[in-house]
Amino acid sequence: MIQSKIQFLNVTKHFNNNSTGKSSRKDTVLENLSFEVFAEEFVCILGPSGSGKSTILGLVAGFIKPTLGEVLFNSKSVQRPDGSRTLVFQEYALFPWLNILDNVAFGLTTKNHKNNHAKEKALEYLNLVGLSAYKNHSVSQLSGGMKQRVAIARALAVDPEVLLLDEPFGALDTQSRESMQTELLRLLSKTKKTVLFVTHSVDEALKLADRIIVIGAKPGKILIDTTVAVSKPRDFKNLQLSEIRNKILDKLTHPDIFMGSDI
Amino acid sequence: MRIALIRIIFFLVLFLIWYLIVSIGHVPSYIVPSPVLVLDSFYHGFMKGGYLLAIYSSLIRVLTGYFLALSVGIITGILLARYYLLDITFGKIILALQSIPSVAWVPLALLWFGVTDNAVIFIIILEAVLPVALSTKNAMKNIQPNLIRAAQTLGSRGLHLYKNVIIKAMIPELVTGLRLSWAFAWRALIAGELFISGTGIGQTLELGRSLADMAQVMAMIITIGVIGFLTENIFFGSIEKKVRLAWGLEGGN
Ligand SMILES: Nc1ncnc2c1ncn2[C@@H]1O[C@H](COP(=O)(O)OP(=O)(O)O)[C@@H](O)[C@H]1O
Ligand SMILES: [Mg+2]
Repeated sequence: MIQSKIQFLNVTKHFNNNSTGKSSRKDTVLENLSFEVFAEEFVCILGPSGSGKSTILGLVAGFIKPTLGEVLFNSKSVQRPDGSRTLVFQEYALFPWLNILDNVAFGLTTKNHKNNHAKEKALEYLNLVGLSAYKNHSVSQLSGGMKQRVAIARALAVDPEVLLLDEPFGALDTQSRESMQTELLRLLSKTKKTVLFVTHSVDEALKLADRIIVIGAKPGKILIDTTVAVSKPRDFKNLQLSEIRNKILDKLTHPDIFMGSDI
Repeated sequence: MRIALIRIIFFLVLFLIWYLIVSIGHVPSYIVPSPVLVLDSFYHGFMKGGYLLAIYSSLIRVLTGYFLALSVGIITGILLARYYLLDITFGKIILALQSIPSVAWVPLALLWFGVTDNAVIFIIILEAVLPVALSTKNAMKNIQPNLIRAAQTLGSRGLHLYKNVIIKAMIPELVTGLRLSWAFAWRALIAGELFISGTGIGQTLELGRSLADMAQVMAMIITIGVIGFLTENIFFGSIEKKVRLAWGLEGGN
């Protein structure tokens, strides 16, 4: 039986822009959004900047609350972040005052994951991303691709059920981007996770996803929700992939929906 | 090493020029004392213990004021960062207070506390509280939200989050504030001590003036400069540099 991991039930999100003191205009970012993600599924969320992709991940993680509707995790309402759903950011968000090993071990020092062998376990994960030789380095000594490997190791070290990635390879050059995509698939084949991966690259989604959800902006709603039933690693010449790509690009180039898109 | 040598030679030359001007020009010692007299004043001041006691008393006074100012300043800074209303009201008063030099508080402090230590400590607190409050506020506001979110999603919250992320992220900016506060405290200390009784660097300086002992006045001015330089630049400077390095804000060297 397929188990539902994450459910969005008619989720609407307004941001009240009062805090900036500029205006009190309500910003509707997501409107009446419903979808579900199944256990061990790799879902890519595709959409232009400002369409609410990061907001969706924040809702799943629990540091953003829906204005209306509900977000469920394992059929229970999401309360707050707790280490069962970890997040990887585009700009890494590593702790600069900790060395590489301590960054990976960070989650293992919290109450939820208290582990007496935090360092050893962290080293295992660092090894998994091929960076155990850098355990005593500082964050600023690493390249962008290496930092993102560390961030992924840190997110996996607490053994979360859901891995959330917010345009994780968006700041990398094409070459490291591609090797990181391969690397991520390799890691996930070892540790089965439910993955929500935000990107605005169609090809990245086609390479990684079991399912692609395309959302449009202002307010964010689902334009396409399609399964990609092609085995990985994928050959882009595959007919089915081309079909899906064309379907997505069709929507993306529609001027009414994607004004100012940076895809 | 070479830089150190150049510096030593520079100071020796400076002393020589000073000595030559005073002795060839026959400048009276109550206007500009010869460096020999100043050295003599240092020698006797330290041998008889008068200067040591003065420095000790002053350091106790400034440290008392400084640490009180830090406690008040850090709490104020956190409140200003957290409560917008407080920031746009009280926060602006603080900015205005910052443009008042410490001597302006002396008459008020003397009326409230008399010519006592408390008057000086009061002035020090008023001066030193502002930079640390402002830097605490800014440090708190400038924390990258994603650092906190990353920590939260890894299971950190409450005390763990404060101890391991929020405070750590604030430290570089906080250290700069602590250093600035110290510089303010040091200046306020001397300004205040000129007016109170008891022992201290400022009092010794003022005593030198009333006795027309220019050598003592010079000795105290040099003492103020040296202690100020050592604490502000050498002590705080090296802490600041170490922190910036450890936080990856500066490359090697
Ligand atoms: N904390 C916030 N306060 C106010 N507005 C926000 C906040 N977070 C996001 N927004 C707004 O919500 C919209 C969607 O943001 P986001 O979810 O980051 O989009 P995406 O990740 O798809 O680029 C944007 O217009 C953004 O300005
Ligand atoms: Mg985003």
